[in-house]
Amino acid sequence: MHSEIFVLVGFLEIVLSIFMQWQTYILSNIKTFAIQSWILGIFLMYFGLFNGNLSMIILSLLTIITRAVFIPLYLSNTINKQTFRARENKHRVSVSLSILTSVLLAIFSYILYSLVLFEFGKSLISIPITLMLQGTFLIISRSNAYAQLIGYLVMENSIFLLSYLFSGLPFIVEAGIILDILGVVMIGGILMKIRDEDIQKEEELYG
Amino acid sequence: MISIVYLGVVLFSIEYISSMKERFIKVYQYFTLLNLFVAVMFFSVILNNFGLIWVCIEATTFTSALLVAVENDFAALEAAWRYIIIVSVGLVISLIATLFLYSSAKTLLIDELLIQKAPGSLFLLGGILLIVGYGTKGGIFPMNTWLADAHGKAPAPISAIFSAILLPVSLYPIIRLFEIYNNVLLSEFAFVLGFLSVATASIMSLNQKLYKRLFAYSSIENMGLALIGISLGSYALFGAIILIFTHALAKSGVFMLTGNIFHNFKSKKIEDISGLIKTMPKTGLFLFLGTLAVTGAPPFATFFAELLILAKTINLYGWLVGMTLFFFVGCGFLFINYKVINMVFSSKSKPLVKESLFTLIPIIYISLSAIIIIAVPVFYKLLDGVIK
Repeated sequence: MHSEIFVLVGFLEIVLSIFMQWQTYILSNIKTFAIQSWILGIFLMYFGLFNGNLSMIILSLLTIITRAVFIPLYLSNTINKQTFRARENKHRVSVSLSILTSVLLAIFSYILYSLVLFEFGKSLISIPITLMLQGTFLIISRSNAYAQLIGYLVMENSIFLLSYLFSGLPFIVEAGIILDILGVVMIGGILMKIRDEDIQKEEELYG
Repeated sequence: MISIVYLGVVLFSIEYISSMKERFIKVYQYFTLLNLFVAVMFFSVILNNFGLIWVCIEATTFTSALLVAVENDFAALEAAWRYIIIVSVGLVISLIATLFLYSSAKTLLIDELLIQKAPGSLFLLGGILLIVGYGTKGGIFPMNTWLADAHGKAPAPISAIFSAILLPVSLYPIIRLFEIYNNVLLSEFAFVLGFLSVATASIMSLNQKLYKRLFAYSSIENMGLALIGISLGSYALFGAIILIFTHALAKSGVFMLTGNIFHNFKSKKIEDISGLIKTMPKTGLFLFLGTLAVTGAPPFATFFAELLILAKTINLYGWLVGMTLFFFVGCGFLFINYKVINMVFSSKSKPLVKESLFTLIPIIYISLSAIIIIAVPVFYKLLDGVIK
């Protein structure tokens, strides 16, 4: 039962991150990330309630408050003040190619799982790996700082799914991770406000 | 070590930061962030838990990101952004590693892990990912690309603290990992990454046009050597520790001196700087000595550290690998020193400039890096239990 729900959650997360790949409007990417985090938070909550695990319930609440509510609100507030950043002018990778790459990444992660993690006997591990690679691809394929930050957050979400499959991390570490992500997003937000995407001419960053 | 470098950097920052015109953050914000940054670094090295070490090392990223962008131009912001995103992604990898370690050993406490006997293959996989993840922050190949940008664009005192202590602090969990789990495969993996870092850095330092980037590549080279030392263990680990200590003193001094040069010449290009020994005699002379120290020339302790690492490499992997490593270290030595000698001793010079009293700080640091060799027995005593 648990693993079926996990597959469903994993599938939804992957579909949502593929949807992010071809989105031009950053605001819809932020909303998609919020939905992704809600799904993750509810899944953790269900799992915590089912097992009567208090730390898991607190963790799910923290996840919902920070990732599903605060971070999307913070990001959309900063973007509303600068409407010219709300839409990416040109994708580095074309839409059709990004969809194709996303599918290939899913296949690749299954192969990776079969080669490296097969002996651990959990056939679901390829789901978080796929999600992680999707996040990485989002960072690589975009030049917009918001899209890159969301890519990083998708990677972090995948860690939560991975930690469910393995034995999880101690509560204090998980709480520390959430605080760290909050810090990265806040500082990232400050930098993104003034960063220019067209950086090709800066000779100080070559070599 | 953290406190020694921190003291110098804070003193040096007093004049440097207030003399900057268009700052991204205010002076009090700069010092607050610097204090927070150093505090989390202290936590990183005293904690007994791999998970919390991860939390602290990730915390160093966002406490220091704004410090990189102090100069407030497009390149500085881009450098800070690259620093955040590349390092954070790297640290996600070490978070997976932490998860694997916990899943395999059921504990993250270092003293409990030390007692446990040979853990399973998941622990090995965790170890490999841990090296890649923390190696990203330590400037190890292949995720070293952020380092040259961040060191090149950060203000001089921040480059000093980054190069001198942030990089070694990021390598600290790897030292603890090898203490817990001494596996041949893991050691070979770390060796290859360290070797490639040395090779990349020494080749890249050939075509550098900006002096701060040149020293950034020298940091990558030294961290690569330190990782090789850590991976080989025994007296090479001892060499790595001496290298880290001497490098911290000398490189922080050198980076502070580059701040002086930039202040007077208003240029970061190597070709624009000439006759430093006549224009700024103290800065010129000690920049030259500091560069010798970071590239591993005798009588600095880095030379002996490199010899120890090289000797162990030859001992374990044979002459061919050892000589190739020696070749790359030699290339780095030649390229970096050639450029610095051109800057310091060329005939074309500007009129003499009065150097600030704060120049004394890097001078003291570079002098200390020369006499650290006297402290070698103390290091040996301190590391008695670790060196087998």
